[in-house]
Parts: sequence; structure tokens; C-alpha cells
Amino acid sequence: MNKATATSATVRAATPYGFLLPALLVTALVILFPVLQTAWYSLHDYVLYDPDNFRFVGLRNFATALSDEVFWIALLNSAIWVAGVVSLQLLLGLGAALLLNQSFWWRGLARALVIIPWALPSVIIGLMWTWIYDFNLGVFNDILLRLGLISAPHPWLAQPSTALACIMLALVWQGFPFFTVTILAGLQTVPGELYEAAEIDGASTWRQFLHVTLPSIAGIVATAVLLRIIWVANSLDVILVMTGGGPGYATHTLPLYAFLRAYTGMEFGYAASLSLMLTAILLGIVWLYVRRQAGEMER
Amino acid sequence: MERRTFMKLAGAAALSFEAARPAIAQGKATVRWWYHYDNPQNTPASLVAKFEAENPDIKIQAEPIPWGGGTDYINRIFSALVAGNQPDCAMVRLSYLSRFGQMKALEPLDGFLAGWKGRGDIAEDVWTINRSPDGKQYYMPLHYVVIYLYYRQDLLQQAGLQPPKTFGDFLTAAQALTKDGIYGYGMRGGAGCHDNWGPFVLGGGASFDKGGMVTEKALAANRWFVDLAVKHKVVPPSAPTDAFRQIVDAFKAGRTGMAIHHIGSVAEVVGALGDKVSAVPVPRGPDGGGWTYFGDESNAIFAGSKNKEAAFRWISFLSSAENNAEQAKLSGQLPITISDAKSWTVHPKRFVEASDASLPIAKPLPDHVKTPDFVGRVLPTNLQRALTGGMNPDDLMKAVEQTFYG
Amino acid sequence: MIRRRSFIRNLIQVEIPVLLVLAFALAPFAWMLLTSIKPNADLSQFPVRYLPSSTTFEHYRTLIQRTSFPVNLLNSLIIACGAVLLGLATSVPAAYSFSRFRFAGRRTLMTGFLVINMFPIVLLIIPLFVLMRTLGLIDTFLGVIIGHSTFSIPFSIWMLVSYFNAIPRDLDEAATIDGASRLQTIRLVVLPLVMPGIVTTAIYVFITSWNEYLFAMMLSGETVRPVTVALQLFIGEFTVQWGILTAGGTIIALPVTILFLFVQKRLVGGLTAGAVKS
Repeated sequence: MNKATATSATVRAATPYGFLLPALLVTALVILFPVLQTAWYSLHDYVLYDPDNFRFVGLRNFATALSDEVFWIALLNSAIWVAGVVSLQLLLGLGAALLLNQSFWWRGLARALVIIPWALPSVIIGLMWTWIYDFNLGVFNDILLRLGLISAPHPWLAQPSTALACIMLALVWQGFPFFTVTILAGLQTVPGELYEAAEIDGASTWRQFLHVTLPSIAGIVATAVLLRIIWVANSLDVILVMTGGGPGYATHTLPLYAFLRAYTGMEFGYAASLSLMLTAILLGIVWLYVRRQAGEMER
Repeated sequence: MERRTFMKLAGAAALSFEAARPAIAQGKATVRWWYHYDNPQNTPASLVAKFEAENPDIKIQAEPIPWGGGTDYINRIFSALVAGNQPDCAMVRLSYLSRFGQMKALEPLDGFLAGWKGRGDIAEDVWTINRSPDGKQYYMPLHYVVIYLYYRQDLLQQAGLQPPKTFGDFLTAAQALTKDGIYGYGMRGGAGCHDNWGPFVLGGGASFDKGGMVTEKALAANRWFVDLAVKHKVVPPSAPTDAFRQIVDAFKAGRTGMAIHHIGSVAEVVGALGDKVSAVPVPRGPDGGGWTYFGDESNAIFAGSKNKEAAFRWISFLSSAENNAEQAKLSGQLPITISDAKSWTVHPKRFVEASDASLPIAKPLPDHVKTPDFVGRVLPTNLQRALTGGMNPDDLMKAVEQTFYG
Repeated sequence: MIRRRSFIRNLIQVEIPVLLVLAFALAPFAWMLLTSIKPNADLSQFPVRYLPSSTTFEHYRTLIQRTSFPVNLLNSLIIACGAVLLGLATSVPAAYSFSRFRFAGRRTLMTGFLVINMFPIVLLIIPLFVLMRTLGLIDTFLGVIIGHSTFSIPFSIWMLVSYFNAIPRDLDEAATIDGASRLQTIRLVVLPLVMPGIVTTAIYVFITSWNEYLFAMMLSGETVRPVTVALQLFIGEFTVQWGILTAGGTIIALPVTILFLFVQKRLVGGLTAGAVKS
């Protein structure tokens, strides 16, 4: 082997890492360090206003969390929250993407308008929806009353039975355009001749969707769902604005509970351990995904 | 141990960065001040200009920080403290005095106050309220509000009732006003509910002393308060999550007959209801006891400041006669100086009088590191559970007791 | 070509359903828009008042003339564009690498990128603040841009990998056999094909940055304060400035909508179709 080929082999081996370098550097610098630091806090009794009593406590924070009633309530709420929000966002987003992929003369405008909910800051969304659900002045009650669907106004956000569902609706509204845009881009990669072939075979629209469209965008949809699960699982700003976790624990999700412990109690050690447990669960989901994708991706 | 090393390192890095910055104009001290006003159109620019004209050697860098329900503002201050780039001085609340104290974050003002001629223009009671348990003054009082009872004069008149003076009167009035989809009392069960819960439960005999939440009297007072919603149904069903926005809106829209808030919302309320609305101190308990919330705001100087002298000149300027009135106009609250309070005409007289009349029973929340937990988490969650029937009201009191006394 | 539908069929199968989706997407926004042109007195009326008693642009005037909103809007634009540039510059090469190479540690690194993003950002704020302080990046555009792009890099990489994977690798190989260098292949073959994916990712990064509050609140002082933080100043302790808040919300949605109106043209089918044929 001569020197030139040896060098080119080294270059070839180093190429993938070279492409990765900028992303690795920036993330390592800006996120990795704070993440590791926060993970380190979870093993400590760390109360922000009491730095002199910062001390190592091993896994005690985790043990405390497991026997904390609110942790379990929040975990259950988180599961409902993620499953409900992501699946509805996906369904609505997929439907909208398929529609907006058809041709009609005002398609461009429709595509632009549909992303408006996604373009608004969470605090505005939270305030607007709280106002929409308002007991006295909310349009939601007003419209339902006018339609005769309810006979008296309902305190949507103050009833433990409806509060979580109402906030979920607000989040579905906010997030479905993400799926629309992502899937719309995915649909562009479906080769047109596949449809032509299907058409010639006389396949119905539904069968075309099932056998041509869906398999072609499956990878992109799966990734989008995975990313959305992580995002939704960690999102708490809309809940915080709308109910602050109430009434009672009805809208406490795990990150919200961690947030309350971290910022009203300033118990950063405990809050970090709560968050780490959420991370562990999400990691499980990612692991399942990666394993399922492995065969396909290592092709 | 590691923590302190880490903080030292961060501090050292911060220092070196500070040194690398070119000094702003030779010999001129810059005072960084963080504040929050409710109305973003209000800026302290004219106060700053006046101060800088009087003190040509000081430059004021005033920065509005989003309030964000209180969390954002406090969060920003504590993060800055940890990172070592806190401002020289900032607006602060009594409920965080203990935490600042534990971090040794504040500079005692006693030395400065001794030579300050404006000290006597602020009531001695206020200095007492603001004093830290270690006997020092860290807070320079700035403005305040007192929680009182808003009521609809017209509706009470129609019902042939006087503004309520006792809990009994209050229930009678609330029941009389509850009809046709209107509720007698717009209870606040969401964020900030301590200012509605306090007058009835603390006023009814509970206290923040050890064991003070679980006496028979305290438990009964709390049950009575919860019963306003659960048994008497004189509060809107949305009460468990209603925060100030909802209670003020419902009151303005004429959907509730009474509400408990303070002078900060008077412009809005009078704007919507005019002469139909007035205010009195919150009702007293069966044995004549009373409690209402003293909503404080002060300025404090951080121990890390390098311009303490200049910072004190600025914060004492804001708490001096005339300037204090100007500042209170910007914040929409009441001036703290005696001379400015006398000539105060910004709010309609009846509301200032109701505030004044409330002062004898007005108390801040306890000066305790756990107070923010009580306000932000323990009371709202447990009160909401009690109001929605998910919890025995007595357990709420036990939870509060446990927060302060383990 | 997909079969042509008759006008009526298109109306029933496509346009009416699109209208329904838009109605859902726009109803709360329309409510906000209506609120922003109502006099304040209309807001607390019972029963609910739908149309303004008199149309007013007072809130918009206040917002533009009496607050720092226009400057904040510009700041947001600079930050979001910066985040898109930095985000794409780092995540496109990384995604290409993950999609086209098989190398040691690939799966670990890919998972690693996701794992660090699974942590609620709220808890990272204080260590991050200290870090940014040490780097001297507090209250600078660069600080906020780095923050925003970093938090979207992992998501961007994963999304882009799935778009890259959707493009058959035979195409790269064909180009290489034709004598194109790797960079030429990327520039002339891969990038044009993956454009819809890049556009989508760019939109994702832009919107994420545009809407981000917490990080911006912590890292920006008055010099670089973006709109989300400025809006929060309208929500006081004892008053919410509904009028200017909703006016602000309406304005905030505009740039993103207009931007998307232009870039959505990039999301057109047929690009790949032709390429795959070759």
C-alpha cells in the first residue's frame, strides 16, 4: 500500500466525523455541559438559596420521588398528555397535509394560513385559550349555549374532569401544523410514477394512500412522531399559563411538577431527579424506535 | 464544597470579563436597576433624568424585567446571583427576604439609613414590617397595596344590605347577591389565592405560628371558607382556577357582586363600573380578629454591587417625597412616604380610604424560606383540591402546617 | 400526472375539507384579531360581544409608537434568521454524514443528540446562564442565536436524516461513477433533491426561535430583547394589557405566515420524480 492510498483511506475514515464536527462542537459546548451539571445536581441536596448546604446524597432524591404521590399522578397525566396530544396532532396534521398536497387555485394561501397556530408564542396561546374557556366571558361557553349543547356555562378549566382535555385541545391546535409541514415535505419525495402505476392497476384512492403514500412517508412520519413525543412530553408553558397545574393536581405533568419544585421551592436537586426519570422513560421510547429502525437504516 | 468552588470559578471568570470591558466615562458610577411595572408604556425615564441632573456623577441603567407571574422576575434575579452578574439594586418582595438572607445576597442599609433625611417620612410600622429577623434593614420601602373588599353599591342597596363588616354579614350579602347566574363572591382559587384565603382563615383564627394552622378554630375557619364554594355555592364554579385576571374580569362584567383585590385594579374596575363600585376593609372574624395581606414592594442593594453608595442614592431618591409619588403613579400602587400619601389624588378617594382603613390588620406573609412554596404551590394545589371536593379541607391546613414546620 | 378532478369533485373532496381545517386553525386567531381592534370597554362585556362596538387601531398605534415593539420585532427577525443559518450550517452536514456513511459510534451519536434534548430546558437555565455569562454572551445576538440554534440542532438533524434517507443512494453512486467529487455530488445531486426537507427544517428552526421565550428572557437584556419577551412585559401583575397584547400577537404571526407563503413553493412534488427516473 503506498502512502497516497493510506492517506486517502484515513481521509475517507475521517470524513463522516468531519461532517459531524460543527454540530458536535456546538451542542457539546452549549447543551452537554448544562445537562451533565443538572444530572450531577440530581445526586445532591441542592437548594438554590442555600448553597452552603450543597451535599451529596446519592440516590435519595430518586427514592423520595418514587414515594411521592404527586410524582405518580404527574406521570399518569404525562402519559395521557403525550399520547393524546401527539396522536391527535398527527391525525389532523396528516389529513391537512394530504389535502394541501392536492392542487387547487388557492393552495399557496391555504398552506401559509394553516401554520399560523404554530407561529404564535406559547404565552399568547395560553392566554387566548384561557380566555376562550372563560366561565363568563369565554366564547366556548357562549357558542355551546347558543347551539343549545349545554344549558348552563361550564367551568372548563376548573373541573378536574375537563381541565386536562381542554389544555390538550389547545396544544393540538398549536402543534398540528408541525406535522402538516413535515409530512407535506415528505410527500414531495413520493415518486409520481408510483401513483400512475397504481392508477393503471385501478387502485382506489384509499388503496393508493395505503400502499403507495403511507409506505413512502413512513420513515419521515415515524421520525416526526418521535421528535414530537419528546417535545410534547417536555412542554409545559401552555399548561403553566392556563391552569398552573390545577385544579389540584389535575393538570400536573412531570415537567410541570419539576418546574414547580425548581422555581417555587428552588429545590434543584429534587427537580433534576424528577426530570431525569422523565428522560429515562423517553430514552426507552427512543431505544424502541432506534431498534425498529436499525435494520432499515443499516441497510 | 464543589458547589462553592464552582461558584468561585464562575465568579472569577465573571470578574475577568468585567475587567476586560472598557470603563464607562471616567469617574462616573453606573447603577444597574431592575424593575417591573404593570403598564409597559410607563417608563422611569423622567425620574432617571431628574436623578441624573441632581447627581451628575451617577448614571442609571434601568431595565424592565418581565414579571411572568412573579416566577420569571425572581428567577432572573436568582440566576444572576448565581452567575455573579446581578444588578446593583432591584425591586424585591418581602416573601424572598429569607432566601436572599440565606444566600447573603443583600447589603444591609442601616449605615446609609442613619444619615438619610427621608427616613422619618416613611412610617415606623413599615420599617418594622420590612426588618429582617437579624434586626437589620435590607429593604428600602417603595410602594404598597392592601387587600380590601370590592363590592357593588347598587346591588347591595337593592338587596337592602350594608357593606359587610363580619364574616356573617359577608355570607348574608353573598347569598343575597347570588341569583340569575350572578355569584355573590368572585373567589380566587388560582394563582395568588392567599390574598382571598388569608382574610377568612387567618382572620378567622389561624396563624403562621407553630401549630397555628391545626387548632380547632383554624380548621373551622378554613372549613367555613371552603364551604362558601362547596356548601353555600356563592362563588362561581370556575373559582378553583380563577386568578386575578378572571376575578377582575368577572367583577367588571357584573357577573360577581363582591371581589377581594386591591387598589392596583381600581382604574380598570372603575372604568367599567363607575360609581356602582366601592370598597371596604375585608370582613372581621367572629371574635373580631382580622387579617389582610400587605402587598409590599421595596428596593434592595445586592452585596456584590461595587457602587453601593450610588445605588443607595438612587433607591433613596425613589423613596423620597415627590419622587415616590411619581414612582407610585408609574406602578399604579400607593406611595409609601407620609407626605406623598397625604396629597395622593391618583386613585378615587373611597379606595384610598378603604386601603388606609385596612392598614391596622394588614400583615405580610411570614418571613420564611418556605413562604414562596406556600404561595406558589402548597396553598393553590390543596385549596383547589378542597374546593373541587377531592380533599378534606382539614388536610389542606395540615399541608400548610407541614410546609412551615416539617 | 395525477388524474384531473372535475370542479365539483375538487370542491367537495378538497376545498371544503381544507376550509374546515383552516376554520379550526384560524378561529382562535380570528378571535385574537377581533380583540385587537376592539375598544377596551368591549372586552369585559357580558354576554360576549363578538363584533367591536367601534373599530379601533388604537392598540396598534400604542404598540408601535409607545413601546419598543418595532425594535423587538427586528431583534426577533435577526435572531431567528441567525438561528436558521447556524442551525442549517451545522445540521445539514451532520445529517448527510449520518445518512450516507456507516461509521463507528454512528448510532450512539445519533441517539446521543436526542438524549440531551430530552431534558426540560427550564431546568438547564441556570447552568446555561452561568456558562453564557462566562463566555461573555449575555445580552448579545450571538448568545441568543447560539442558544436557539443549539436547541433545535438535534431535532433538525433527525428530521434531515429522514429526508436524506428518502433519497435513493444509487443517485449519489451514479454521480460518483460519472466522475463527480463528493462535494460536487452533494451540491448538484443531493442538496437539490433534499430541498423540501431543508426548507421544512429551516421553517422549524425559524419558528422555534421565533416563539422561544424562556431562554430569550434569561439571555437577553434590553439590547437584543425579542418580541416574546417584550410581549411578556404587557402581562403585568395586576393588569393584562389585552388590547396591545392581542395586537402584538397578531403582528407576530404575520412575518412567519408571509415567509411561509414564499417558501411553500419549494414544497412541490415532481422534483424527485424526475430525478429518480434518470
